[in-house]
Amino acid sequence: MATSEFFHPSLAFLMMAAVLPFLPGNRRWKWLLLLPPLAAIYAAFHNQPGDHLTLTWLGLTLKLGHVDPLSQVFTQVFAVMSLAGILYSLHVSDKGQHLAALLYVTGGFGCLMAGDFLTLFVFWELMSIGSTFLVMLNRTRESVLAAFRYFIYHTFGGLLLLAGLLLRYRLTGSFDFGTIDPAAATYADWLILAGFCVNAAVVPLHAWLPDAYPRGTVTGSVFMCAYTTKTAVYVLARAFPGWDILAIAGTIMAVYGVIFASMENNARRILSYHIVSQVGYMVAGIGVGTAMTINGASAHAYAHILYKGLLFMGVGAVLYSTGTQKLDQLGGLAPRLPWVMVFYMVAALSISGMPLFNGFVSKTMTITGAAEAHRFWVAIGLELAAVGTFISVGLKLPYFAFWGGKKPDYQRELKPIPLNMYVGMAFLAALCLAQGLYPHMLYSYLPEPQTAFEYHPWTSWNVLQALMLLGFSGLAFFLMRKVIEPHKALNLDFDWFYRLTGRGVLALICRPFAAVDSVWTDVWNKIALRFLVTLAKISSWFDRWVIDTVVDGSAYGVRGIGQLASMTQNGRLQHYLALAIVLALIVFAVIWYGL
Amino acid sequence: MTQPTKPKPLGLSASPPPGPQGVLGRFLAAQLEGSRPKLWRTAFFVILAVVVGLSLIVPNHHPHFVYDAKPFFWPIFGLVAGVILVFLVKKVIQPIIKRPEDHYGDL
Repeated sequence: MATSEFFHPSLAFLMMAAVLPFLPGNRRWKWLLLLPPLAAIYAAFHNQPGDHLTLTWLGLTLKLGHVDPLSQVFTQVFAVMSLAGILYSLHVSDKGQHLAALLYVTGGFGCLMAGDFLTLFVFWELMSIGSTFLVMLNRTRESVLAAFRYFIYHTFGGLLLLAGLLLRYRLTGSFDFGTIDPAAATYADWLILAGFCVNAAVVPLHAWLPDAYPRGTVTGSVFMCAYTTKTAVYVLARAFPGWDILAIAGTIMAVYGVIFASMENNARRILSYHIVSQVGYMVAGIGVGTAMTINGASAHAYAHILYKGLLFMGVGAVLYSTGTQKLDQLGGLAPRLPWVMVFYMVAALSISGMPLFNGFVSKTMTITGAAEAHRFWVAIGLELAAVGTFISVGLKLPYFAFWGGKKPDYQRELKPIPLNMYVGMAFLAALCLAQGLYPHMLYSYLPEPQTAFEYHPWTSWNVLQALMLLGFSGLAFFLMRKVIEPHKALNLDFDWFYRLTGRGVLALICRPFAAVDSVWTDVWNKIALRFLVTLAKISSWFDRWVIDTVVDGSAYGVRGIGQLASMTQNGRLQHYLALAIVLALIVFAVIWYGL
Repeated sequence: MTQPTKPKPLGLSASPPPGPQGVLGRFLAAQLEGSRPKLWRTAFFVILAVVVGLSLIVPNHHPHFVYDAKPFFWPIFGLVAGVILVFLVKKVIQPIIKRPEDHYGDL
């Protein structure tokens, strides 16, 4: 699959995933895990723009290797993040977790390189499967249940995408994955947009994210926070730039995420709500759709992957070491986990847009772009979200985790944090600082580098503006620190509606089945069994041997059917996977042949 | 939330002893002693004052909106937005949507 000028990064991860289960169990294989990210980084810098790996299959043209400036910048940051994530998870001896992460990243790169919707769909689903296992392999009851909800919800999103892309093929006769003009949008395009919005966690389709991410494995959530939503940002930027509804949706996301993060007690759920908020900046930038805001969205995606990965690493290290991620049970850890605190703060200041760090050079670009496009409410909404971001991630989380107005916690038993986790954190912290200090490191890879270089983040006014905004939101936190103290509680979100819908569908399907089942049982008991018994009585009069055969045989038959029926309800993931594929095939068949 | 895998610390010694860790840990612990927290607080206020003072001198060439060209816009925006946000979230919204932690049957 590799040609002289093109190497598909997915290939490296896929090969590693294929080999890993057969490697001997002495854990030397962990060093091999570093090879796919290195290959991906090489590919990110050497692949030339163009269409590579074009296959013709059943009369369809599949483009597996589409490279252009937009996909190049995302490929680069995905590759860098995969190296950081693997470094951070090197100590994990569970091959299953590595396998899930490798397949998940394979899917991510596949989506970036997809030149047509069918290829995109296949890798899209691969990501969904990989990430489901990253949640489930935490092996607690909560995470297994969350993984099921996550998978069902993403199957629903995937089906929206599938229906949309097939209907689009009916209308346009092509699977080409390119820019869609908002003026000429059809209902098929809206279905595709809805499918993308599920993965981009657009409010109100977002609640899967704060449900699943806090329950993933320590290392798995580090991978997940980088790839699913940012793949969605990429596909939105590719297909739907300038769609006005996205500008509004993004601004709502940015503020909504901050509101929920400010009241949360679970540290990784705070960070999850901030993914919703930060992805809101990118979605808004795509919706505004000028060269500057598309640049801003790409730059913010790049910076966000680095600092959000680092945030999940820092909180993951606290969780790994203390065994809890609830802020009301933490506090006073700064002297005992000083470097975790420092790395966490680098990421927290980055996400807040503090000068010196990379959020400062990416966030301001989107906001300035929105203001220059005269989108007043978008710009002011994003500034408001910046205040809330600094208060909840920059101050509240570290204050209550590492300080908390408590005496240093010297009594708590801490599990030693493996060195490789520190290495992963240091790597990302260095990148966050480097991009903040040398914005050209980031800007020269943006889709429109000329526009990017016209923007100068490091003017004295920009620095002062950021310091005033953050300084005085810090003062607000200082005044309100007693009010914002986190308490243990569950805050209702839109997943309340998802659960209601889920139960409704279950009732709709199960009640008729249960009714049929009970009637059938009655019939069986009253007629068939009585008939058999009568038959048996008659037969026994002649020959006991025949009766045994009949009864045994029918018993075997009933058991066999019972097993089949219970397959749909016994909660085994492989069966749900099979069911999801069957559902996808049914949708495919209905649209392909039915319309 | 325990990892099923047994960690093999790569090169690090076993369980860290209770107490501040390393030079940085001792430095951080020292900042919590005596008058140090007050010192940091004063430093914070001084920095705020300096930044606001500078903003009155440095010209703003590209105001995003009309209002942000005025002096004290961003300090007021940050402070007021922050206080209102925290108050709304913790005192108005959360009491309405708050449920016990095991509302859905898991934690």
